[in-house]
Amino acid sequence: MNPMAQALRSRQLGVYVCTACSRQLRRQRRSYAATAAKTPDIYDVVCIGGGPAGLSLLAALRSSPATSNLKVALIESQDLSKTRDFTLPKTEFSNRCSSLTPSSVSFLDSIGAWKLVKQERVQPYQEMQVWDGVSGARIEFDWPAEGKGKTIAFMNENLNLTSGLLKRVEELGDVEVFDKQRVADIGLGEETEEGDLRGWPIVKLDGGREVVARLLVGADGVNSPVRQFAGIGSKGWDYGRYGVVATLELEGSGWGGEDLKTAYQRFLPTGPVAMLPMPGNYSTLVWSTTPELAAVLKSLSPKDFIAMVNAAFRLSPTDLAFLHTQTEGQADEVAWRTQHTDFDASRIPQQVIGVQEGSVASFPLKLRHADTYIGERVALVGDAAHTIHPLAGQGLNQGQGDVESLVKTIEYAVTHGQDIGVQMSLESYNAERYAANNMMLGVCDKIHKLYAVESGPLVPLRSLGLRAVNALGPLKQFFMSQASGTGAKIL
Amino acid sequence: MTPVPLRATSIRNLNLLLKTAPRFVQNQFRQQSTTSSVNPEEVSHFNALASTWWDPHGSSRLLHLMNPLRHDFIRTCHASQPDAPPTTGLKYLDIGCGGGIFAESAARLHSAGSVTAIDPSPEVLAIAKGHARKDPGLKDKLTYRNTSIEGLPIPTSPAEQYDIVSIFEVVEHITHPAEFLDKCTPFVKPGGWIVMSTIARTWMSWLTTKVVAEDLVGIVPRGTHDWEKYINEEELRGHFLRERGWNSPRVMGVVYVPGLGWKEVSGSERVGNYFFGIRKDF
Ligand SMILES: Cc1cc2nc3c(=O)[nH]c(=O)nc-3n(C[C@H](O)[C@H](O)[C@H](O)COP(=O)(O)OP(=O)(O)OC[C@H]3O[C@@H](n4cnc5c(N)ncnc54)[C@H](O)[C@@H]3O)c2cc1C
Repeated sequence: MNPMAQALRSRQLGVYVCTACSRQLRRQRRSYAATAAKTPDIYDVVCIGGGPAGLSLLAALRSSPATSNLKVALIESQDLSKTRDFTLPKTEFSNRCSSLTPSSVSFLDSIGAWKLVKQERVQPYQEMQVWDGVSGARIEFDWPAEGKGKTIAFMNENLNLTSGLLKRVEELGDVEVFDKQRVADIGLGEETEEGDLRGWPIVKLDGGREVVARLLVGADGVNSPVRQFAGIGSKGWDYGRYGVVATLELEGSGWGGEDLKTAYQRFLPTGPVAMLPMPGNYSTLVWSTTPELAAVLKSLSPKDFIAMVNAAFRLSPTDLAFLHTQTEGQADEVAWRTQHTDFDASRIPQQVIGVQEGSVASFPLKLRHADTYIGERVALVGDAAHTIHPLAGQGLNQGQGDVESLVKTIEYAVTHGQDIGVQMSLESYNAERYAANNMMLGVCDKIHKLYAVESGPLVPLRSLGLRAVNALGPLKQFFMSQASGTGAKIL
Repeated sequence: MTPVPLRATSIRNLNLLLKTAPRFVQNQFRQQSTTSSVNPEEVSHFNALASTWWDPHGSSRLLHLMNPLRHDFIRTCHASQPDAPPTTGLKYLDIGCGGGIFAESAARLHSAGSVTAIDPSPEVLAIAKGHARKDPGLKDKLTYRNTSIEGLPIPTSPAEQYDIVSIFEVVEHITHPAEFLDKCTPFVKPGGWIVMSTIARTWMSWLTTKVVAEDLVGIVPRGTHDWEKYINEEELRGHFLRERGWNSPRVMGVVYVPGLGWKEVSGSERVGNYFFGIRKDF
């Protein structure tokens, strides 16, 4: 069963959380104030959000000698034991997968987390096939000789990553974890005999507990309560598109076998559809489409859903549009139409023969960019700072880049006696990440817009665009280095 | 002797300044008259600055930006020792702490045991104390005292002395630096360091600190620097090495590069801001 749904269900069952329900992840306890009820606990770093960005931040802070003396806390509304104990049979995969660039992986390795990610569930890929569904034009990736067969990126379940990160955090210890608790409110401290905390954020948990943060890090996703508390605006829009995800079973392990895996992406007028390899005969689907079509796809029988996915990589946009108007019977229709369509089987994914039960789900796609990543005693990382269209598989990777940069900034501040919370200490983080992320958001947004038009004056331009991409070495190089995170560091 | 405004014809005057200044400062080093190191004019100038001390975009921004280099410099001093310096419990004395930019940062270091920070200006010290209250982590490690160095009891044993005595951006504001430094040295533990930063007295430093920083760009309020009080590195070195008891003098020249911040530039101690450190014999 889909573990996300599992986690959700147990949450809805209403696990009772007592006010003092904070799990100490290691034997030695760092006591702070004796009267916890009156004087709220003061932490150097309070991270809200235990997703890929938040957990990675904690693992990095605890593994760096310069920052390992900091007193840190994590607040997460979900039950983290579900994350830690994540386990599925070899034939099942969670539907939320991300491609990790080599630079994300080397960062995860440097903080000691990658070795705790179950490697048998990770699938590196070495080839990409990207083409335009309307004109058929393809980006030809002529990887340099020394780059041939080199890993472009690693497909991995988000839960396999967060599970490994959490194990690393537990291995390092000394993190106060408040899970199964939502943030009820964030306010500012007061001036007392003890000191002047009027500039310090105080996080109130719905269990009643209060924690004070020298630096409050928002790793709390796209609707970031931390960003709202800090009064940091964000710009962007909803794409009016949903990402339909599913775990698929294919007829084989790919045309190149286990050692040469390929990622496929076809640009359709409704948005890109991507099939990314997982271990064995499995793949994960990300199909960006309109909310209506997403609803149709989710309602189909497994047989018809499989047929639609096969069609998405084979049939013309006109055929697809027709198929979407049907409420059932897609399987027969696709079989018939496929016979009459010309395509090069070796350049498209193998036939999908199964879809994992309960794995079809959809997520709204948005573009958001916070006006800044820092404020007084506040820093934002990951989706809290920026949310990107998934077409380039960069969202989670950008978050890892943020964390790497923020930890470097904190290390410098600590070793130079700066208050890690004040904005001046955080300036280099914002400077290092903002422009780079903004550029990536812009590129992916423009690619989406360019392809989300079916006919009219843009279509010839678009295929011209793709052909131009083929012709233009440097631009293609940009895509290639982005995919692998090795090129000009625009993480 | 006021610096001449920058005009093409003033080059001759600049040369004149260059020739006469060293002797002037040498004279300063010989004078032994006053009892307090504190120059009342300087104190009132810093009182006026106090309100902007902790504004990261105010007139003290350059100092905030320079502060990390002070720690880098102390680290290079420690790294140069043949014996390993202690990694915890270091005692600091910060003389002329101002708003506490260095004192606070020293107290936050894991290696610091305690920091005593002094400044003769009550207004400035009030700012420092008020600001320190905003970080409860400093309470146990940082002590401010409203005094000049003369007001501190002279230590009688190493236990009362300090591992690091820091005098940052101070000597250029002192009328009789030699006498002042002699009052500071008894506070250094055997094997400890006296570290300071100041500005070399050259036409280049006059141009960058008086003309560019104060007059043209205005990042530093006018009257902050009195160029005539600038001291060159050889003079400091000579002062300490003349009397025995000190070893391993170190210098690091730094340059402020707009857009990049403070950078270490070797040799630049001869023309502008520099750090100077020297170790007390055992
Ligand atoms: C369809 C789809 C496909 C994608 N594919 C890729 C891909 O291939 N590659 C890639 O790099 N990225 C991909 N992404 C993006 C990636 O999933 C996100 O960028 C990533 O999950 C963001 O991580 P995060 O830690 O910043 O935020 P999140 O994963 O959103 O984590 C935020 C955490 O904060 C917690 N939280 C929120 N509010 C509170 C509160 N008030 N109190 C307590 N806790 C709170 C939440 O429970 C959550 O655990 C994709 C996204 C979508 C939608």
